[in-house]
Amino acid sequence: MTWLVWRQHRVQVYLGAALLAAFAILIVITGMQVGNQYHAAQAACAAGHGCRQLGGLFLGSHAVGFLIISTLGAPALVGLFVGAPMVAAEAEAGTTQFAWMQSVTRKRWLTVKIGWMLLAAAIWGGVISALVTWWEGPNNAVQLDAFDPGRFDIMGVVPVAYSLFAVALGIAAGALLRRVLPAIAVTLAGFIAVRASVAVWLRPHYLSAVTVFYKVTAGFTPPGSYWQIAQGVLGPNGQQLAQPNSTNYVDGVSASYLPASCTQVSRGAFTPPPSCTGALSHFQAFLTYQPADRYWTFQGIESGIFLVLAAALIAVTAVTLLRRDA
Amino acid sequence: MIPMHEVPGNAVPGPAAIETTELTKRYGKVTALSNCTVSVPEGRICALIGPNGAGKTTLLRLLAGLSRPTAGQVTVNGTTPRQDPAFLADIGYLAQEIPLYRRLSAEDHVRAGAHLNPRWDAESVRERLTALKIPLDRAVGKLSGGQRAQVALALILAKRPRLLLLDEPVAALDPLARRNFLGLLADGVAAGGLTVVLSSHLVADLERVCDHLIMLASSRVQLCGDIEDLLAEHQLLIGPSKDTTAIERSQRVVQVTRTPRQTTLLVRLNGPVADPAFQASDVSLEELVLAYMGQQSMGQDALPALTHLSTVGEEK
Amino acid sequence: MISFRIDGHSVVPPYLQIVQQVRQALRMGVLDVGDQLPTVREVVSATAINPNTVLKAYRDLEREGLIEARAGHGTFVRRLPPGPPPGTHARLGRGLAQWVREARDAGLDDESIESLLRVTLRAAAEEEIA
Repeated sequence: MTWLVWRQHRVQVYLGAALLAAFAILIVITGMQVGNQYHAAQAACAAGHGCRQLGGLFLGSHAVGFLIISTLGAPALVGLFVGAPMVAAEAEAGTTQFAWMQSVTRKRWLTVKIGWMLLAAAIWGGVISALVTWWEGPNNAVQLDAFDPGRFDIMGVVPVAYSLFAVALGIAAGALLRRVLPAIAVTLAGFIAVRASVAVWLRPHYLSAVTVFYKVTAGFTPPGSYWQIAQGVLGPNGQQLAQPNSTNYVDGVSASYLPASCTQVSRGAFTPPPSCTGALSHFQAFLTYQPADRYWTFQGIESGIFLVLAAALIAVTAVTLLRRDA
Repeated sequence: MIPMHEVPGNAVPGPAAIETTELTKRYGKVTALSNCTVSVPEGRICALIGPNGAGKTTLLRLLAGLSRPTAGQVTVNGTTPRQDPAFLADIGYLAQEIPLYRRLSAEDHVRAGAHLNPRWDAESVRERLTALKIPLDRAVGKLSGGQRAQVALALILAKRPRLLLLDEPVAALDPLARRNFLGLLADGVAAGGLTVVLSSHLVADLERVCDHLIMLASSRVQLCGDIEDLLAEHQLLIGPSKDTTAIERSQRVVQVTRTPRQTTLLVRLNGPVADPAFQASDVSLEELVLAYMGQQSMGQDALPALTHLSTVGEEK
Repeated sequence: MISFRIDGHSVVPPYLQIVQQVRQALRMGVLDVGDQLPTVREVVSATAINPNTVLKAYRDLEREGLIEARAGHGTFVRRLPPGPPPGTHARLGRGLAQWVREARDAGLDDESIESLLRVTLRAAAEEEIA
């Protein structure tokens, strides 16, 4: 059975391996350059002005950076081109009649095929994620944004779970629809819908976010790569103020709320004069965030969600193919 | 002395390769097969005949275990068709569409078969295809329809099953290739341990090589039994055009053809024919099949009278 | 070894065709006592007829005493059918071929030849009774 799976998917395997190899070569070569850039910048800032200005510095070429961002779609590829055709192409061509009339049971046929597809998906997602995570090491250290949406999704272990989910979704769509193009369309739509829903609505709530109140004059920045969920300023009566829409603000508080002495004197100065401090003391700022040390927990939870979804989809496939008439 | 169990005709029926009881298959509101009760003894080459849509493919798929019945029982090689390697190894089913992997070559299929089947005669496929001058290493999708059919047939024989279920296997072959393949089937049966059911439209081919018949029409069984027995039980009565109600009452009439001068009745004998005006003659298989297929145009009322003829010969 | 030709369109059933062809072969001297008949599988491969047909034919011939099955070895000719020796058939056949050539040259077609033969046979039969 394994021989048959290999023989049927040989070309796909070669293509996938070639793509991964090309990607790997590009990433490794440019990644080493990024590393050098980073060490040089570190040496420079240690010697000179201080390392705060490294924040916001992007290391590496923008072209490669764009490619890295686009790996957001990589897990979907394995679902569309490996998962969706697995059953659908055979159903369309009628070749399931051939396979199921050899002496292998449908169960064994399905088990071996799905097993290899899942392995291929895991390798695909894992290799790409490992390369991306390594390449982005310096940028993560400098920009501290690994937990942010869009960055969280392309590094760590979640891309493996996304890939497994994508391929399981593709296989299920193919088994239910039995036609390749509709299966591909449904897989794409489903993948985007689920990924977006989980990232936007579920992820912020895996663990209750931490909210910290602090004086506007004090300022507060959590350590490491925290994920900012919400942020704002509260007025003297406790209600949230609108964000300042001009450059006329002090410590995040719009000039319209402050006495004239604050705004007049503060122009051009780094810190407000004592006359202003009193007024500012009535204002509080808050930050709602997920602490940086929860990063791996969140990776684990999100991976778990997608693995459970993948398992459910495989169960659906099994019921569809093993219970229904061939 | 030739062993008794090899004697045809009035032989003691051996164990049944196939037995169905009131087998029914419905797809939603459509009834594909209705109350089908048939029996095929081992070692027979059985012709499955019927017009398109009569339920032949449905019956074959139920026997192969590719579909499950809506009602009724089916027993193949002694057990209900099931997802079990031992059962699957003993049957060979070839669908009308000739399912093969178009991008793979014949040789690939042979290797796949070797991995997927416990008994596999790879050399027989290679020898046969080479003898037929069919390239083993070309993608099967690039072969002609007839060549693809030959590949599929060779592969199914290589499996060495106990029962072959073939859905219009020779439709794509030229007459010589057909003769050749049917010879191969007959040889397999002669070697022992093989039963064949093949559906086809070509009665002439079937008449030569088949010794058992199942006839379906309107999703029901019209005839089932050894061909020799069925032919012996039917007669063609030709006589002057006159009142035939006496005959119609005493015999079971399958088909009546009236012209101004002459009336022809094809009857299933229910005792000797009393009327001397009618000359009796033997019926050919083709005439028999056409007569029963013609029943459809007689309407539904004709059918209930015939369904109790569904099992013949095996109940003796 | 004899090879059989089965005519699917003939009114003679296949098993009877085999029986007749064996008898004919014995009369013509093509088969002799002790010769082996083709196995069921050989006949079936060559003619694409049902194996039971061959078995039935061989059983009929065995009942007539013309052939016998030797377990493990095959089926062999046991004795010739009653009638004149094989040579006679061959000789008469040659004579007949000569006469047919003459008839054809004279302009008779196959149908006329057959009906002439039938009429002559009938007349000869009546003569014997008389």
